[in-house]
Amino acid sequence: MSRLARRFWPEAATAIGLIIAPYVLPSLGFAPDTVSRIVMWGLFGIGFDILFGYTGLLSFGQSAFFGTGGFVAAYLLTNNIISSVMLALVIGTVGAMVAGVLVGVIALRRTGIYFAMITVAIAEVFFFLENSPLSDYTGGENGLPGVPAPVFSIAGHTWQVTTGWSMYAFIAICFFVGIVIARAIIHSSVGAIFVAIRENPTRVQALGHSVWLYKLAAFVIASAYAGFAGGLLGILQGYMPPDAFTFDTSGQLVMQTVIGGAGTLFGPLFGAAVWLYLRDFLQGPVGLGAAWQLALGLIFVLLVIFLRRGLIGGVADLLARRRPHAEPPEESAVIDTTSSLATVGPTARQRQPGTAEGAPILETRNLTKRYGGLFANKGIAFQVMEGELRGVIGPNGAGKSTFFKMLTCEVHPTEGQIMFNGRDITGMDVSRVCQLGLTKSYQINQLFNRLTVRQNIEIAVLATRRGRFRLDLLRPLHRVPGLATQVQQTLELVRLTLRADVPVADLAYGEKRRLEIGLALASSPTLLLLDEPLAGMSPRERVETVQMLRNVSRGRTMIVIEHDMDAMFELAERITVLHEGQFLAEGTPAEIQRNAFVQEAYLGGVAAA
Amino acid sequence: MLNWPNLVSQFFNGLALGAVLALISSGLTIIYGTLGVLNLAHGAMFMLGGYAGYVVWAATGSFLLAVLGGSIFVGVVGLFIELVVIRRFYGRPPEDQILVTFGIGIVIVELVRLAFGSLSVTVPTPPILSGVMHLGFLFYPTYRIAVLVIAVLALGVLYIILYRTRLGLIVRAGIEDSGMVSILGINVYRVFLLVFGIGAMAAGFAGIIHAPVVAPTPDVGATILVETFVVVVIGGIGSFPGAVLGGLISGEILSLTSAIDPAYSEVMLFVVMTLVLMLRPEGLLGVRGRA
Amino acid sequence: MDHQESGQGGFSRRSVLAGGAGLLGGLLLPWVPGARAEEYAPIGTFPAGSSGSSVFVGIGVPRTGTYAAPGEDELRGMMLAIEHINGGNELIRKISPNTTKGVLGKEVKYGVADTQAKPNTAVQAQSRFISENKAVLITGSVSSAVAVALNKLAEREKVIYLPGISGSNDTTGKDCVRYSFRECFYAQTAAAALAPTLIKSLGKNKKVAYLVPDYTYGHTVHQSMMEYLKKGGWTTATSQVAPLGTADYSSYLLNIANSGADVFVNINFGNDAVQSVKQAKQFGILQKQTLVIAYASPFLAKEVGPELTAGVYTPTDFWWTLEDRYPLAKMFVAEFEKKYGYKPEWSANAGYMQLAMWAEAVERAKTFYPPAVIKAYEAGQKVDSTVGEVYFRAADHQLVRPVIVMRGKKPSEMKTSDDYWDVLEVLPGAPLMQAPDAFGCKLGSYT
Repeated sequence: MSRLARRFWPEAATAIGLIIAPYVLPSLGFAPDTVSRIVMWGLFGIGFDILFGYTGLLSFGQSAFFGTGGFVAAYLLTNNIISSVMLALVIGTVGAMVAGVLVGVIALRRTGIYFAMITVAIAEVFFFLENSPLSDYTGGENGLPGVPAPVFSIAGHTWQVTTGWSMYAFIAICFFVGIVIARAIIHSSVGAIFVAIRENPTRVQALGHSVWLYKLAAFVIASAYAGFAGGLLGILQGYMPPDAFTFDTSGQLVMQTVIGGAGTLFGPLFGAAVWLYLRDFLQGPVGLGAAWQLALGLIFVLLVIFLRRGLIGGVADLLARRRPHAEPPEESAVIDTTSSLATVGPTARQRQPGTAEGAPILETRNLTKRYGGLFANKGIAFQVMEGELRGVIGPNGAGKSTFFKMLTCEVHPTEGQIMFNGRDITGMDVSRVCQLGLTKSYQINQLFNRLTVRQNIEIAVLATRRGRFRLDLLRPLHRVPGLATQVQQTLELVRLTLRADVPVADLAYGEKRRLEIGLALASSPTLLLLDEPLAGMSPRERVETVQMLRNVSRGRTMIVIEHDMDAMFELAERITVLHEGQFLAEGTPAEIQRNAFVQEAYLGGVAAA
Repeated sequence: MLNWPNLVSQFFNGLALGAVLALISSGLTIIYGTLGVLNLAHGAMFMLGGYAGYVVWAATGSFLLAVLGGSIFVGVVGLFIELVVIRRFYGRPPEDQILVTFGIGIVIVELVRLAFGSLSVTVPTPPILSGVMHLGFLFYPTYRIAVLVIAVLALGVLYIILYRTRLGLIVRAGIEDSGMVSILGINVYRVFLLVFGIGAMAAGFAGIIHAPVVAPTPDVGATILVETFVVVVIGGIGSFPGAVLGGLISGEILSLTSAIDPAYSEVMLFVVMTLVLMLRPEGLLGVRGRA
Repeated sequence: MDHQESGQGGFSRRSVLAGGAGLLGGLLLPWVPGARAEEYAPIGTFPAGSSGSSVFVGIGVPRTGTYAAPGEDELRGMMLAIEHINGGNELIRKISPNTTKGVLGKEVKYGVADTQAKPNTAVQAQSRFISENKAVLITGSVSSAVAVALNKLAEREKVIYLPGISGSNDTTGKDCVRYSFRECFYAQTAAAALAPTLIKSLGKNKKVAYLVPDYTYGHTVHQSMMEYLKKGGWTTATSQVAPLGTADYSSYLLNIANSGADVFVNINFGNDAVQSVKQAKQFGILQKQTLVIAYASPFLAKEVGPELTAGVYTPTDFWWTLEDRYPLAKMFVAEFEKKYGYKPEWSANAGYMQLAMWAEAVERAKTFYPPAVIKAYEAGQKVDSTVGEVYFRAADHQLVRPVIVMRGKKPSEMKTSDDYWDVLEVLPGAPLMQAPDAFGCKLGSYT
């Protein structure tokens, strides 16, 4: 398949599927009205899938936007304020997006279960608003009857959408446009970042992206789809029901998405088909009557337990299992220093103008972190010169990790100041600090486990190429200038080129460690912090990695925390020793080895342990 | 009705409402705090308590047996759910846990609907507690006062379990630091099982106690669940004292707003919840970091 | 995309031509009863829905949720009617003398969907019955919100709709449509019937507390009650508006208890009525205030017990002891009890009667062509019913029928275990009802 065909076959298949549906589905017992509804739910679900399946945000409040979009459009149309149905749909969608921004700003303050609970509560508020204070506009419990269907005039031909298959055609076209846009979003840089947020939001933030703004973007995209679909609901049945706002609507959407398969874009469509078909089938031919919901509930629970990725995911996994794939060979971390490749790395950014040569790139003054009455760090004054390779050591509990977290602004100090490149970064957001060129690799791997090595590095590179936040929703990822080159360079630098398309979960431990460093490197930092880069490595891996770090350090300023003293004395030019959260000593490796205080601290530590 | 007698009545009503909410919420919150699972089937457990109590009452005619039988039954259902379903979900993302408990809730509600229909069932007020008490200017149903007392007692029992027993120690340790408990060499799964059972039982107990006040229908759990969310968000999820405080605050918000316009009472609850989230995201008595 | 249309038939071209001819004929000649189906232009599900040996009726009632009990009762009334229509039962033949077996000789089949008393679910279910089963009639509702939504659906799809239970003024008022006919009376009529009785028996210048369900039915009943009670100098102490399906009414009831009212008018229906009455008892309200149920809620007395409904005033469409007054009521109650084992409530009566009257109208029209059936309804034909002679008003499609005012019996007064209510008055409907256009009814076009 050509690249184009590979990229666009789902769109083509969607178009074909939508066109043949009216010829195939009726013989399976689907009425046109049911098919239209399925497609409407499918469109509603596309947005939700971007939010939940891709970005990982489980909202039980989509009814708020479905209802908002629907009622704005229905109000405009039934009161003859606007005669164009399409224009009303667009205005409804914009209304839903505005609501999305407002709700998102509140709900996205929290994550996980809190987020889910807040969306439930906010959706209840929307239902209340629709039902009581705004009932003059929304008809309260009655809803708004009499929503007209659209009429299109193209080149002298008039197409009056009526019920049945003509309504289906209209909704199917909307769905097709919706899926084309959604797939473009998923294949853009924004889409890649969405998935990364689902996998590990903390790391995305640390790599220099504004997670909050991207989440808000996903939330608003989902509201837009919901709002548009809500408008379609009114048009589809000529009646805008207050039910659109109820929790059941949100719950049904969630269930349909999970049944069909989240993270597939088409899951909600298939889920809706299963749902509506079973509803009719169980109530009609099977004669379950009111018990149909029980059957659907059981199916849902079984799917969540056994088929995590829903029907589509299940089929995809089955196909993937039958396709054998060869494991690419492991790559050695040993770097041939004579190779030209080794020196071609993502280069550090240009120094900020105005910083004199030899001036400190990083300086802390009286850096203090207190947890309750406990000092993790106290009054640390610390300076690192441009181009230096500094080691930070200290016995367990010396406060090294807290110190690092404060430098990258993951944790804000209780007192004191941090200057980076002559700029006060105290209290700044971690993503902004990363954008300034200061980043860190973690002691415990913080990777995007379900993504490939290449995708991991892409997320890091995107931050340097696109800044903290950018809404280039329709530009494909591979069109981001310079992305491929920089990713390739990073892969070579950490020797993972041959493993580029392997999911992180399948990597060996040493490889994961290298990728962890690679993520930090890919942000092209001027100052790179490494938190125990050798942790958990075998002796052979240690040797290789030290070699690699030495290479990486060329043209960069680096600070390394390490337990492995030998490696540290070999690698670092100067070493700072922390003890009980305070500065203890600083000097060349030789000076430190001779320092009496240091010896006592370490021996004391040993004695105490 | 802004007059003093009514405000005082509503304040009292808020206490009664708040105590029941606190009891249900404490079940939700200790399950979350210990297992890290947000149980969306908790409302269904509340509903199930009412029905189980109804069945026992219909068979024996004794309200006391109905309370005992009903709450034990729901506790056993809780144990069963933990063993068969929840246990598979400890290693999975919180979203999966939410989804599966959401599904379980639907299944329970629909099973009850299948068995009892959609009509409400009636559990009569026990004869000793029926009637109206005249508290000065305020008529208040004797049974509702009893509910207040019973809920407070039940909360006391939960307090003793949580703060005076070995199990409680482990549970509280688990809430502080979930990793630590397993390090201590305690059979975590048995603790999880017990806690889920106790949490479900608290909801079931509240369900049967509440049944003479509001006749149970299969859908009665849904409303309660949303209110319970608000309670734990306000109080701080995972915190037992938070659930009690959140319950009382929520009860008072609902009732005192009702004195002005009942239509706004629910929405007022959500407004306060939003305010709490803005000003103190971890909840009034919550600990930062769990969520 | 118009696969379905072409699939429907070989007859489509022919029927267009025939429709043209029919139109022409209609211009030249007065409308001829007994014209064959092919002479009408296709409209809605006509003629597809009535071209076979059977016709389909789409039934949507709430079988879950707050209104499940009256919904189920209404459904049973409908099913009994269909059974009687297909079997040519004597009772049906008394209402619809032209009926032999079936409707115009066609067997009536039906499908049932649970609407959950939600307009959206109802519209979905009935749309399906229309598109999939080519329903010639859709019927059922326990909520006026559902009735209003289905009114609009009926108008759009050109399929006749019969609500069932819908007490809002709007159903045949501002939201009335050409394609819908209501059997039961409604807020304004109920208030007009009840108010004089209340004023007569409780005296003038009373203070009233209202408990109002928050939707079209509740609001119009509330309005109408206030308006008619004002004539006796009655004032409103408080109006508590509660959402549908409220579980705990304590806050509302405390406001009512502390409002100083003499009379408590409860407008709730279904399970909401059951819950609020039980809880009102607990708050000591029933000892201090006289309870009035603004529109009888089926099964209320059975569910809360006669101790609570003793002395309660309520207007209703039908109560089974009317069998002493009307022979058809006696037959209906007997047939219903034989089949279902209990006395029918008014919801069952409404379900039965409206299908029987539909059969009567179609038999008179001699076609299923909807405009012809509508005109048959609008002819004002007097029909014998379980509550005596009734007829539809052409201008708003409302049945003119009596209102029955009842008072709850004390347990000691009950002759049988079902004997909950004492029928105080059977008031003729015509003098009670407002002018057809008073609530802004404008019926739409026939086609």
